[in-house]
Amino acid sequence: MSIEAQLHHPAPSAAEPVRGALAISGLNKSFAIGGQPRPVLENIDLVVRPGEFVSIVGASGCGKSTLLRLIVGLDDDYAGEIRLDGDRVTGTSLDRGIVFQDHRLFPWMTLEENVGLALINTGVPKAQRARIVAEHIALVNLKGFEKAYPHQLSGGMAQRAAIARALVTEPRLLLLDEPLGALDALTRVHVQNELQRIWMAQRSTMVMVTHDVEEALYLGDRVIVMSPNPGRIRRIVEVDLPHPRDRRSPLLHRLKDEILAELTAGPEADRAPGETSNLVRLPAREER
Amino acid sequence: MSGRRPLSRPARFALGVVPMLAVLAWWQRQAAAGGSGGIAFASLGDIARAAGEQIANGALQTDAVATLSHALIGLAIGATLGLATGIAMALSAWAERLLGPLLQALRQVPMIGWLPLIALWFGTGEQSQIIVVVMAAFFPAMLNAHAGVGQVEKRLIEVGHVFGLTWGQRLRLILLPAALPMLLTGLTQALAFAWIAAIGTEILMGSGAGLGVTLQVAQTQQRLDLVFVSVAATAVLGFLLNHSIRRLRAWLLHWQPAGI
Repeated sequence: MSIEAQLHHPAPSAAEPVRGALAISGLNKSFAIGGQPRPVLENIDLVVRPGEFVSIVGASGCGKSTLLRLIVGLDDDYAGEIRLDGDRVTGTSLDRGIVFQDHRLFPWMTLEENVGLALINTGVPKAQRARIVAEHIALVNLKGFEKAYPHQLSGGMAQRAAIARALVTEPRLLLLDEPLGALDALTRVHVQNELQRIWMAQRSTMVMVTHDVEEALYLGDRVIVMSPNPGRIRRIVEVDLPHPRDRRSPLLHRLKDEILAELTAGPEADRAPGETSNLVRLPAREER
Repeated sequence: MSGRRPLSRPARFALGVVPMLAVLAWWQRQAAAGGSGGIAFASLGDIARAAGEQIANGALQTDAVATLSHALIGLAIGATLGLATGIAMALSAWAERLLGPLLQALRQVPMIGWLPLIALWFGTGEQSQIIVVVMAAFFPAMLNAHAGVGQVEKRLIEVGHVFGLTWGQRLRLILLPAALPMLLTGLTQALAFAWIAAIGTEILMGSGAGLGVTLQVAQTQQRLDLVFVSVAATAVLGFLLNHSIRRLRAWLLHWQPAGI
């Protein structure tokens, strides 16, 4: 079925994919800092169902981005197990896609070349690649910008292009590492809606790291709340609402207050719960 | 640069020509003044006449072709070797350890320091001149390629890993394009060094044809007009070479945002 068809007739939830089950067990990860091992992730156990959208929130330093790097296979130095559909994860694979906070498009390639790059080592016949690339550019609403270079795109457009590039290989699992973190508030809401639409159309398993609790709740079937130093899963919140969701839903607001209270009432941060901002205040991201 | 207004094409051209005309006017004044000034400066008329003669008997063209071929053959060999060596050193710790110390040591010897040795080994013919040009072009190409490929951002290389690119694909599709601005900087610097080396070796080793050879001969014969013809030809050709490489750069880097 082409993407267009999927968009207009989303697969009913009964026919959810059987692929894309992520199982993490007993995962521990530490970095050597000044010769001393410093744990960044401790005893992470997590099962993500096929087709599920899981959000991960947590303060800076809780290792949530590190967790995604381990799952995608950019870092193999950890203890414990990560399995996708039963197979142990080793190195990177086209089964696992990722969208980074910075779009990481190649500045010397046009939008369609950037998206097409993802297909070069897939089994997709060359003759079909152009069509598939065009479909995914349409999916993220960038039709007409195929020949544009990244510097000619706005931040939101570039991030949508990065999403198209990650989706074009139809990964069983898509990891999103603060994909909307660098966008302004308005663009952010817009791309959130698109992300929800795309997820409903594709139904691949998605795991998104964010520091925006509202975003985590709006998109996630479940929200994993992590605590820092070392990173641990503190709580898992079920968001029992059908998609597409209404941002004004009272349940979302109640859960948001709860999660913010949880995040801000850490052992070292004794702030009053119910802060007005929905962003956990973080310094600018360290990775560049 | 926000405070700068763009200039129209004719205005830009005119502004570039003004200082040249000023230099020529001052020149002519010096030459016409006679006395010691007149000896050190050939008049513009004499120079033009000499240039006309040189063109009519084909000497200027022969010289230009000879110098250009020394410079460009040397550049082609030296820059290719330099870029390849620099890229290899950036990609392989082995190559870096193997070649790095030796090349860094050799680099400290100024071009001119090699001349006696090379003259001794290879004589003072064209072959030796080209060898010096090759060496002059090699180092800037090597250093820039090494830095350029070595500094490609890890975050871009990771994208290649995520999409399962092979080593060769990562080199061709990520490392080399990302390093291209620096590779071209290396090429531009190599050209400048090659041009200096080509003229320099002709002056110092001079045999056969070449702008530097004629310059040297004219100087010993006290033919100031001919000296200036050679100098002017060197300036014009060097300018054109540099301009071509800038055009090449702009064309290859069309994907960069303007102003970088």
